[in-house]
Amino acid sequence: MENVLSILFSLSLFYVSVTSRVKGYVAVLRFQGLILSVLVLLPFLKNFSIFGIILPITLLLVKVILIPSYINKIILDLDIKRVIEPTIQQIVFLLLVIATMIVIFISSSVIAQSTELNVIPFASGFSAIAIGIYIIIFRKKLIVHVCGFLVLENGIFLFGTAVASELPMMIELGVLLDVFVVVFLMGIALNKIRSTFEGFEVTDLGRLKD
Amino acid sequence: MDILQGIISVLIILGFAPLFIGLVNKQKAKLTGRIGAPILQPYYELQRLFKKETINANTSSFISRFSPLLNFVSLITAAAMLPVGFWKPLISFNGDIILFAYILGLSRFFQILAAMDIGSSFEGMGAAREATFALFAEPIFFFTIGSISFISGYTSLFDIYHSIQLDNISYEVFIVICSISVFMLAVTECSRMPVDDPNTHLELTMIHEVMILDNSGLDLFLYQYSSYIKLFIYTILEISFFYPFSQQSYLVGILIFVFGSLVLSLALAVVETITSRYKMKNIPQYLLFATAIGILNLLIYTFTK
Repeated sequence: MENVLSILFSLSLFYVSVTSRVKGYVAVLRFQGLILSVLVLLPFLKNFSIFGIILPITLLLVKVILIPSYINKIILDLDIKRVIEPTIQQIVFLLLVIATMIVIFISSSVIAQSTELNVIPFASGFSAIAIGIYIIIFRKKLIVHVCGFLVLENGIFLFGTAVASELPMMIELGVLLDVFVVVFLMGIALNKIRSTFEGFEVTDLGRLKD
Repeated sequence: MDILQGIISVLIILGFAPLFIGLVNKQKAKLTGRIGAPILQPYYELQRLFKKETINANTSSFISRFSPLLNFVSLITAAAMLPVGFWKPLISFNGDIILFAYILGLSRFFQILAAMDIGSSFEGMGAAREATFALFAEPIFFFTIGSISFISGYTSLFDIYHSIQLDNISYEVFIVICSISVFMLAVTECSRMPVDDPNTHLELTMIHEVMILDNSGLDLFLYQYSSYIKLFIYTILEISFFYPFSQQSYLVGILIFVFGSLVLSLALAVVETITSRYKMKNIPQYLLFATAIGILNLLIYTFTK
């Protein structure tokens, strides 16, 4: 079941690398959040405990509801154009993503021979980290950078579940809080930039002077 | 007995292909709030075309004369390789997935040649587009069916579908992923909505339809009929993933065939209603997405065994 969810996660990564709408990114974030919460919920189905249910519910709340709707709100409030502006062609980006995933899958299967780990979640999480970085590198819009950062964060989460089956709960909750604060700050920062500059593109920020 | 069943499967495909397209068009019309043509409309159109006179352009050579027939025959051959219901197809041997792909390739090749043969600039443009998108569509087939073939260890379509076991959960994932990319393949090869609009008649935006613009009468009949058969072939390719072959039941196989066709026609209609045609430059990206799914499938299989 873990493998199935990780494969769906990888499919959403492909989607995120071809879509040209900011809405698509937000939808993918919601989808990935849902997958991660189901993934965390799975071990607790066998031995149910009230304490164990807190993490999935928090994940669901933060990753599926709070962050995506907050990003949507920023898009609406600041009237950001709905298309992403890539710096390279989408098809080149997709080819890059495919090549990266091939390398990651091969290397993680090599790693799996010497250590005990779950190959598919590991490789999917790893790919998400790489693709999140690519999104940050190859897109111009700041709001898309936030989405790329969140994809990266989802990747780290999946990666974590593959390496250690159970992280201490406080750490995982801490990670979530961290992300939420970052997104929140980013919203505030975007608002501040709005009051100084007109656009929301990284290229504009190159002209900052004191 | 096997031969009889194979012949019946081919006849089923030939007979019901226009009905399927009629069903898709009717549902699409309903979803967009129109009454729409009757479900049997494709049959009437074929009948009308059959009665008309065939006229060829003065500039055309022998290629335009035999290309429609070759197209039709090669599609029937491809249809003879697919299992309908639980029945063994007429042509089935080890490695027939390659033959299946290349028979379809042959029909496309001659269609492109015939379009260029007529000498109209619009048809040349359509041929160029068809060739480009076919180039991107071919890897989808080989990566998808190829990965399923790897997993099952067989190289014949019937054996591959026969070996599908739905009790293994990772097998189900492969099936779901493969059916997504086969759906995208079907949409591309049969020039349906996100790639090509079958209803448009503006030469600049057409892909498949522009290639048969100068054909008439029996030639057009053969082209139209083969395009209907092609859509039905890809439908069967998709439905076959969901056969409960492990149960070995004829009745269940046929029920799933009927039910699967209905569901798939609805899916096509819904997709065509909610999406608009992509820009030409975005189509390769769409096709590469389906290929990426196939590659992912192969990767997952190879490195988790």
